[in-house]
Amino acid sequence: MKALIYKEFKLAAHPTCFIFLAFGAMLLIPNYPYYVAFFYTTLSLFFYFLNGRENRDILFTALLPVSKADMVKARCTVCAIFELLAVIIAVPFSFLNRALYGPCPLADCNVAFFGLTFVMFAIFNGLFIPRFYKTAYKLNFLVPCIVVFLFIGAAIALVFFPGIGAYLDATSPEGMIAQLPVLIVGLVIFILGMVLTCRRSVRNFEKVDL
Amino acid sequence: MELLRLEGLTKRYDGFTLDNVSFALEEGYIMGFIGRNGAGKTTTLKTMLGLVHPDGGTVQMCGMDFQKNERACRQQIGVVFGEFDHYPKKKLSAITDVYRRFYEQWDDAEYRRCLERFELDESKTVEQLSSGMRVKYSLALALSHGARLLILDEPTSGLDPISRDELMELFQSIIEDGTRSILFSTHITSDLEKCADYITYLKDGRIVCSMEHGALLESWRMVKGGGKPDADIAKLLVGCRTNKFGFDALVRSDDAEAAAAAGLEVSPANLEDIMLHLEKD
Repeated sequence: MKALIYKEFKLAAHPTCFIFLAFGAMLLIPNYPYYVAFFYTTLSLFFYFLNGRENRDILFTALLPVSKADMVKARCTVCAIFELLAVIIAVPFSFLNRALYGPCPLADCNVAFFGLTFVMFAIFNGLFIPRFYKTAYKLNFLVPCIVVFLFIGAAIALVFFPGIGAYLDATSPEGMIAQLPVLIVGLVIFILGMVLTCRRSVRNFEKVDL
Repeated sequence: MELLRLEGLTKRYDGFTLDNVSFALEEGYIMGFIGRNGAGKTTTLKTMLGLVHPDGGTVQMCGMDFQKNERACRQQIGVVFGEFDHYPKKKLSAITDVYRRFYEQWDDAEYRRCLERFELDESKTVEQLSSGMRVKYSLALALSHGARLLILDEPTSGLDPISRDELMELFQSIIEDGTRSILFSTHITSDLEKCADYITYLKDGRIVCSMEHGALLESWRMVKGGGKPDADIAKLLVGCRTNKFGFDALVRSDDAEAAAAAGLEVSPANLEDIMLHLEKD
């Protein structure tokens, strides 16, 4: 598995997977829908799969002494690593955002925001990865992309709802501590979601004739 | 010791069936796997390597059941589908750096020797290599992890005659020590004349024959005659081709005397003759 993950980073991952990690800096754009910064992470994952496909990575890897299940697990692990890194890199920029600007008229980049970002990643992973492994060839980014943008719209709309809006949009230290359950639940959904995504992808890929 | 044994390998598609394919390859030999385009050569190779799910049959590789010991088997084989066309923009050094991590028996000194012998420059990208050099790079990778069985799908198609000849010589030298074997599929039968010890011939998804190269050539004769063949002789002919000057066909060696007595010109058959006429039959 270590060798497979090394291969994913060294050969298969598209340069945008690394470059777009820096898009956490988009949290410094004033009055911006900050979830979009993480949409770019999902876009880089699409490029990652595309890059693998165009370089005939599936056949290259399938001929190595590895199982098909491990091929999928390595790819899912690397996707999760990129998503986690994107969030971790964005965190310092969220502090800077609060230091530099007042409250954002859209959703603020606070603790709840990061929790919901993890949910967004879980939705993208669940829609994008298993579908690819049905054929190990066809990439369908359109549906996950639309759903991700609907999610972004819904997450921003939530902060305008009375009660829940004030809770989700709080930027005070106490308010953000109160948002920790959203972060934890989001992280749990992200991890469990990736496990289920990976299992379904393995099941799909096992059926594919290469 | 047998490095490869296929027993009843079957794969069904709509419109094509790989039907009950069986053959074996001992260590120290080269087997040519021939058949026209679409005969099922690549499907056979992919099915035996587990890339395609078989509907039936078993594969023994390096003394192990392939399905139960897939990883262990793969450690001992080298596979090349056509020329190496993965990651064309990457340098060979980058690809090797990844590849070597998967093999327990990786021998870096052997890899360096192969690079020197094949005149491969690691700083080049895959796309900068000629077709022949790409095949050689695949062989370098396979030999450096101690592969005992090399499975090559159409390694010579797309190569010029000189490169093909070089490759045939290389194949001979690879099996020289008697511990390795090569199975390679091709539709270029002249390549096999130079180096194959065994021939397995696949037609429409079925094995026509799998036997020693010389024995296969001995089992057939070419015959030529003017006009149209008599009814008695016509029964002996296989894959008869007629033209305005007469006809040519294969006959079984046992029937060669009867054909000669009937006034036909009898000559030895080569692989191309055998394949052409059997396909026509």
